[in-house]
Amino acid sequence: MKNAEMIWHHVLPLAISLVLLLGLWETVVWYFDVQVFVLPSPSAIAAGVIDTWPVLQKAVLATLNEALTGFALGIAIGLVLAMLLVLVPPLEAALMPVLVAINCVPVVAYTPLALIWLGIGPASKIAMVVIAVSFVILLNALQGLKRPEEEAINLLRSFGAGPLRIMWTLRLPAAMPSLVNGMRVGIVRAMIIAIVSEMLGAYRGIGWIIFQATQQVNFLQVWAAIAVSSVASMILYLVLVWVDRKIVWWK
Amino acid sequence: MNAAARGPWRAVALPLGTIVAMAVLWEAVARGANISAHIFPPLSVVLQEAWKVGPFLARSVLRTFTETTLGFVTGASFGILCGVAFALVRPLERALFPLFVVSQTIPVVAFGALIIIWFGNTILSKVVIAFYLTFFPVTVNTHSGMLAVDPQKIQLMRAFGASAAQIFWKLRFPAALPTIAVALRLGISLSLIGAIVGEWFGDTVGLGVMLIQAMYTESVPRLWALIITCGLLGASLYAVVAVIERRVVWWRSDA
Amino acid sequence: MSSSDPAPRGSHAIPLLKLVNVWKRFGDGPSQVTAVANVDLQIEPGEFITLIGPSGCGKSTLFNMIGGLLPADANGSIVMNGVPQQDGELLGKVSFMPQRDLLFPWRNVVDNAILALEIEGVPKKEAREKALGMLPDFGLSGFEKHYPHQLSGGMRQRVALMRTFLFERDLILLDEPFGALDALTRAMMQRWLLDIWQRYKRTVLFITHDLDEAIFLGDKVLVMSARPGTIKCQETIELPRPREASVVTSQAFIAVKRRLLDAVEEESMKTFAAAEPPR
Repeated sequence: MKNAEMIWHHVLPLAISLVLLLGLWETVVWYFDVQVFVLPSPSAIAAGVIDTWPVLQKAVLATLNEALTGFALGIAIGLVLAMLLVLVPPLEAALMPVLVAINCVPVVAYTPLALIWLGIGPASKIAMVVIAVSFVILLNALQGLKRPEEEAINLLRSFGAGPLRIMWTLRLPAAMPSLVNGMRVGIVRAMIIAIVSEMLGAYRGIGWIIFQATQQVNFLQVWAAIAVSSVASMILYLVLVWVDRKIVWWK
Repeated sequence: MNAAARGPWRAVALPLGTIVAMAVLWEAVARGANISAHIFPPLSVVLQEAWKVGPFLARSVLRTFTETTLGFVTGASFGILCGVAFALVRPLERALFPLFVVSQTIPVVAFGALIIIWFGNTILSKVVIAFYLTFFPVTVNTHSGMLAVDPQKIQLMRAFGASAAQIFWKLRFPAALPTIAVALRLGISLSLIGAIVGEWFGDTVGLGVMLIQAMYTESVPRLWALIITCGLLGASLYAVVAVIERRVVWWRSDA
Repeated sequence: MSSSDPAPRGSHAIPLLKLVNVWKRFGDGPSQVTAVANVDLQIEPGEFITLIGPSGCGKSTLFNMIGGLLPADANGSIVMNGVPQQDGELLGKVSFMPQRDLLFPWRNVVDNAILALEIEGVPKKEAREKALGMLPDFGLSGFEKHYPHQLSGGMRQRVALMRTFLFERDLILLDEPFGALDALTRAMMQRWLLDIWQRYKRTVLFITHDLDEAIFLGDKVLVMSARPGTIKCQETIELPRPREASVVTSQAFIAVKRRLLDAVEEESMKTFAAAEPPR
């Protein structure tokens, strides 16, 4: 019953509009005879993906590796930092302006520096993803950890609970919704930042393929790479939507 | 009482103090630890570098600022329109909203080269990228803000004989404003990112262009100067949006 | 500190809790606000004391001090079982229940009820068994696996009360526990609370702003004055126990109510007048 409703409300509309969009796209390209370098048709892109699958597969795995490593590290750093700032309020007063200053800089502006410092291997991409993800997680976690009202904290104190106990029993569970929310934003951002960093310099990865294909004016390859990476980040996003339902079921 | 009187002063003094402390710490660490300037130059060297390229830097800031603002204003307007449309016309929401979500998993910057083919190597191609990054969060928040209106308040308005338009202008839209404002603050940052990345794909002036040039010449002091400039530009744009927000959505806590 | 064998009622050797000249002031200088002034009170083991006063009279401040959440000003003292209590020492010694139920949405009925035991370090399994045994008394049989959002207001309040009772301390502090319930549910909960109180033999200090409730429940009613809050008068309630619902219509009840009503009304008027904007 619930599954049927879910399909009816979410999956079906998406499928219909996706099919309509792709159909329209295909027709327009065919009817107006649009050049490949302007806009290839969906079928041409699909063919491109199949033709170059071995290369694309290797590239998407490399990018996923960077994005997921950075994502995991970013979550750990962001969450630990947020817990520390909540447990030691003076630390928050001192560190917050620094963090805000670092966060004011658009993430991509750090990319050249990361490439010079860490080389064009995976390390520089992972570092960029860590920066991008840890900030999203930190801000979301801070907001979530501070959500419990004074009264709920007082109740636990009256039972003799200390700050660590309050963190574990009350603050962390209460922070789960905004934390998972941050993760959903973070995973998409992780993929994009990894690709952007690869475009500025790498040995492998989707961004590298896109950069090379652009240099060789092989736009079909660009589209194929984009299609593969989009499907990959969509799957990751859906996994997190599912995690959200599982963990934050009480909402 | 006492704290309130100290409040405004402290609000300025604390961040200012931290920033000065950071600057001093930076200078001291870079000089004291004797790290190669190629990796971590002292702040004074960075500032000298910024001074040296001053005029070019100024023109770049102006260019990137223009791109960001245009992308932000168009993106935010389009986002609000879409959000309102989705909230009012549910079939539209069902059909298009999922596509919007999917569109955000596409790394648009990968299209950089294509966008230049489509829109020419002009300011327009950067504005388009900034636009694309801005409109989505604004759409989502407008939509959820409009839907979150207390149904009892809508019933009350209807009981007063309000028309659909009146309910929209007097209740739903104002009620959604705080949520929209959150997205606008996010949008201005994304818009700046879009403009900078857009410039990577070919132009002659702009902060993104300078970043790429400094990377190829491996000029770390210039990179730092650019990072600081980007940060200042980002902070100022954010501050402007936040100030406007405070003026317009002063009630906020109503929920 | 376990209360498995509380002192029998009427043995007046040492009061369970004694407040001597307790004050609480907030801020300093000309803007200082005195929330609680010169409170003296004494609670004997096993007593059910109700405290009534107009809203904003400092009842909650007083409660937070007794619960150890807020330090009292230095001039007075809070003495428990004959031992003066310093700042923070009362934390974990009093079973405290705030106005709102404050159930955690991610915990089911049983796990919410054992929250305090868990913090004390009681193994979860043992705590759960204990809670399961108490479910029938609290009218929650069969609901152990339910989550707060699936419960009615009255049931949520009973879970919160069960959490309070499971935290076995000599003194239970209840801050308007039935304030948010509708009148019918409320009347039922009051009779049920008396029943539970007699069965578990605890000492209760109960805050309310409903005079009928204060008289119906209490051995003694304390009336608190408008801000600064202080104990204005007290009345021992001689109504026989167990009390039936019909007791509220008895002559004795009405006589007590008439006496207390004047005092309470006067204080309410004071708060009302104070709330008027200055001209």
